[in-house]
Amino acid sequence: MSAVRLRSRPSLAVSVLAPLVLIALTVSVGASGTPSLRGTVTTILCEMIIVLGLQVFIGNSGVYSFGQLGFASAGAYAAALLTLPAAFVALQTPGLPNWIADAQLGTVGSTAVVAVACGALAAVVGLPLMRTSTLAIPISTFAFLVVSYNVIANWDRVTGGSGGLVSIPRTTGVVSAGLWAAAAVAVALAYKWSTRGYRLQATREDEIAARSLGIGVTGERLVAFALSGMLCGVGGALAVHQSGVLAPTTFYFVASVTTLTMMVAGGARSVFGAVLGTIAVASVNEVLRGVEGGGQILGLVSIGDTPGLAAIGVGLILLATMIALPNGLTGGREAGELPWLGRLLGRRRTADRAVPRVDPPIGGEKEGAVERAPAGEADALHATGVAVAFGGLRVLRGVDLTLRPGEALGLIGPNGAGKTTLVNVLSGFLRPDAGAVELDGVDVSGRSPSRLARAGLSRTFQGALPFPQLSCLESVAVGAMGVGVRRARAVAIAVDVLDRLGLSERASHPAGSLPPAEQRLLGVARALATRPRYLLLDEPAAGLTETEGEELVAILRGVLDGFGCGILLIEHEMSVVMSLCPGIQVLDDGVTLRIGAPAEIQADPSVIEAYLGRSYLEATNA
Amino acid sequence: MTELAQNLIDALALGSLYALIALGVTLVYSVMDMMNFAHGEFIMLSAYALYVLAGAPFGIALGGALITGVLIALAAELVAFRPVRKADMSAQLVTSLAVATILQNAVMAAVDARPKSVATPTFVSETTTVGSLSVPNLEFVTLGLTAFVLVGLGWLLYRTRAGLAMRAAAENFDMARLLGVRADRVIALSFAISGALAAIVGVLIVMQTGQVSPTMGLTPVLVGFVAVTIGGFGRMLGAVIGGLFLGAASSLLGAYLPADLLPFRDAIVFSLPVAILIFKPRGLLGAATGEARV
Amino acid sequence: MLELRGARVAYRGVEVVHGVDLRISPGEVVGMVGPNGAGKSSVLRAICGLLRLSAGEVLLDGRKLNGMAPERIAKLGVALVPEGRQVFRTLTVTENLRLGAWDAEEGESAIERALERFPILRERADEHADRLSGGEQQQLAIARALLGRPRLLILDEPSLGLAPKTIDAIYELLGELREEGTTMLLVEQNAVRTIDFCDRCLVLSSGVVRARGKREELRGDSGLVRAYLGGRAELQTSNGGVGR
Repeated sequence: MSAVRLRSRPSLAVSVLAPLVLIALTVSVGASGTPSLRGTVTTILCEMIIVLGLQVFIGNSGVYSFGQLGFASAGAYAAALLTLPAAFVALQTPGLPNWIADAQLGTVGSTAVVAVACGALAAVVGLPLMRTSTLAIPISTFAFLVVSYNVIANWDRVTGGSGGLVSIPRTTGVVSAGLWAAAAVAVALAYKWSTRGYRLQATREDEIAARSLGIGVTGERLVAFALSGMLCGVGGALAVHQSGVLAPTTFYFVASVTTLTMMVAGGARSVFGAVLGTIAVASVNEVLRGVEGGGQILGLVSIGDTPGLAAIGVGLILLATMIALPNGLTGGREAGELPWLGRLLGRRRTADRAVPRVDPPIGGEKEGAVERAPAGEADALHATGVAVAFGGLRVLRGVDLTLRPGEALGLIGPNGAGKTTLVNVLSGFLRPDAGAVELDGVDVSGRSPSRLARAGLSRTFQGALPFPQLSCLESVAVGAMGVGVRRARAVAIAVDVLDRLGLSERASHPAGSLPPAEQRLLGVARALATRPRYLLLDEPAAGLTETEGEELVAILRGVLDGFGCGILLIEHEMSVVMSLCPGIQVLDDGVTLRIGAPAEIQADPSVIEAYLGRSYLEATNA
Repeated sequence: MTELAQNLIDALALGSLYALIALGVTLVYSVMDMMNFAHGEFIMLSAYALYVLAGAPFGIALGGALITGVLIALAAELVAFRPVRKADMSAQLVTSLAVATILQNAVMAAVDARPKSVATPTFVSETTTVGSLSVPNLEFVTLGLTAFVLVGLGWLLYRTRAGLAMRAAAENFDMARLLGVRADRVIALSFAISGALAAIVGVLIVMQTGQVSPTMGLTPVLVGFVAVTIGGFGRMLGAVIGGLFLGAASSLLGAYLPADLLPFRDAIVFSLPVAILIFKPRGLLGAATGEARV
Repeated sequence: MLELRGARVAYRGVEVVHGVDLRISPGEVVGMVGPNGAGKSSVLRAICGLLRLSAGEVLLDGRKLNGMAPERIAKLGVALVPEGRQVFRTLTVTENLRLGAWDAEEGESAIERALERFPILRERADEHADRLSGGEQQQLAIARALLGRPRLLILDEPSLGLAPKTIDAIYELLGELREEGTTMLLVEQNAVRTIDFCDRCLVLSSGVVRARGKREELRGDSGLVRAYLGGRAELQTSNGGVGR
């Protein structure tokens, strides 16, 4: 483990301790109160575990799921059936298989079984669902919620049907619920800061950029979905051991909206937010629920029996949050990243501290997950006869291209010549209508961008596609994590790359706060962190001043020498191309116009005409 | 043979109803890129207008339902959806979920959590014999209304100035505005039409079930969402096809499923689309507005 | 006619235009050139109301446009031919034109006149716009913008992605419009052509105006152009002799 960390020790400590302290406070309030308050607080802590489950998936993926309460429901039923005394089982669920009916697990045992079972169930359910699009996932998970309700409510012989179950052992106390909640916080934070967690967050920030770094979106979502299902199942199991009764509607629509509101109100991206939001919304909810049953407010106003009042309150909180505070109370930050909490604790903002430098040079290192074979004769990125048409418009009409490791090739041509389309084909974002792409002698046509990145081909984009909410250091480290490098090593690589590209000062800044030129440079850094053998750069110098352009050339030259990767450089800025690339390929109207050395290209009238238009020649003639 | 024909007519009628729901959902989506959870509550509130106006002549009750649907949709747009118009799709979806929760529970608080029965004209509960088939009149009403709506919507979208604005806004909202198309009006219009469609669906559901309840919008909105998803987001034709498919599947499963599996009909119906999405992740017709390209 | 005073524009929370001043008089053709990412499009989007100014103001005949909705600005007579043309691909050519004449009083007769001016559009009047070639789409985009009888026509990279021959045709059209007295703001990456075409030009780079002046002044000052336009200007100077 190197000395460099993604966050400073004080920030880390505050982020971990703050939610735990909140939980401890909640537990102590419950433990010192009346039995009814004790029960209420225990329920809230169980809800908190479910909300943490939501946060693990929704917060890190940015994709909403409305189905997680289905796993809470499944967990609750499983826990109830595993612990229900045999006599009650025969009465309530005659169709239950004997081995379950006979099972008499304790709370811890049954909760452990539930955790595994719900994790597995979520993995199975998620397998098809995660393949669908970002917009289809909320809908198909909503469908899952309704389907699971439908099954539970109608499977009378096993679940007790719509009447539900009673006499479930009430074994969850306020302290044990608090301990489980603390464990859930630990799981959520550990996941968020793990390699997989970072990869998923990258897909939330920008799906396309994440794929270009080797991150498989479906797989990462599935992992979080399963983990989330596990936490939700545990929350449901503990809750049912608190209330002692269970019905199909216990974890259905209202509970879904309530827990979602808790997560959103706290700030979906933040684990601390999940804890804070649960407590805040639950408090409002409890007050309203008190009014709901009829009674008096402050002994003044009498209110009759008003069902639905608490749910209206929850809906209003959710609406107000979405309109006025879309990032929630925490702004999506963990406690250690909150400026006001820092001030409160008398610490200066840790985020402003520059990251110390380390120097494990990337070029010659031996360790690391991605081992590359030494360059051989056949090693090249090789495209043959690539053709692409959009509608009737033929953008590429049979283009060949060869890029070797350690070599820089410039790709130029007028706007609309098909340069970016060619890069999209080479990097797997676009399937060509004809032609093939070979990577080191292997046909990789049709492979996904993430597989290509793991095979050693990385790219940047014309738009910088930053990960706005991640720091620069995190953004670049994610590049290395994307191709399977472990976290500590990925951070070391990121520090080194940032240093080489002159971005060290920015390491702890959010990527979204950088000016456009630096965001572009950060994109190059991110791609380099995957340690590619072939690097495709789509207009990296756009928007840079001449001086910055010269610096970029120096950096890229360093990349050629130090990393030994081949660079395909699309660039408008001729000075950049000319000074870096010994070979230049000119595209025009979807075909290769010319390949040659810079001097030859510069002297070729057909190139000048294609590039600047005939009128330019006429103008200079005049 | 007769039984098959009978089942097919039932399937077509339910499919038409579902297509009307899906059209209401997709209309708002195509202009605003928002999947509207509250569409189910637009349906529910329109149905409650029938309950409230139970004593009035049926024509007036129908008019009341229609006006309720349109007004609620317009109010929701103005109060809740306009402030989040620039937010991303997920944020809009969650906002509409909040609206749905508020409306649903407001009715629960104001009326009752339990279902209320609503008297419907005897005509719709009778059947007409066509050859060897006896078809419930309600199915004729449903089919007729659906045909009317499809023709009317087609006329509106392809023959009127407002329709041109809606189609332009659906494809490229900013560009339409740059040419002078008023964003607020187009969005309000799409919500108004969506609300009217919801009202028609609400009335048809009441005529079928004879009752209203605060949660009656939940299944329809899921039907609408799933139909739009399998049809391809933002595609009018896709919504109709998706709705017909879901309705037909539900109706035919109801007719042919063995008795002990019958309670799980909805579970099976809503699991089917997932199977479609595995093979066609972007829906049967492909999404009209795809995810950002490279 | 149009005036920008100290306009600052932020995009996704990052300021990309740092105080731009610009004044266009009636009948004038003003160019704005600069490398990719210089902030040109952001300036245009701010004028049209698609982006909000974080500071400064936009005035049209002394009337402040800040914070006004795009559709209202359009009605005041500012028309944009956007980058990438952005014709409505699912609508027919006629429908596209009808949208162009959205607020015009004599809509159909105006469309008739536009079809006369652009015969290729008449030929394909009932086809969907995505069947048109790039050059035809550009003609449609310009025709559509002209139908609103704009007092100011803004063109964002009209030559982007077009073949040289087509670009020549587009510029011929723009020349005609200039003869007719149309006020234009023309944005291009192709500096040489733009500087030649326009009465005056601004050179924008990294969100700041680096140079401004008349055609002759800018053309003479090759060092300046090279500094902010980089390689293309270099190619131009180093290969100046090729064609001779």
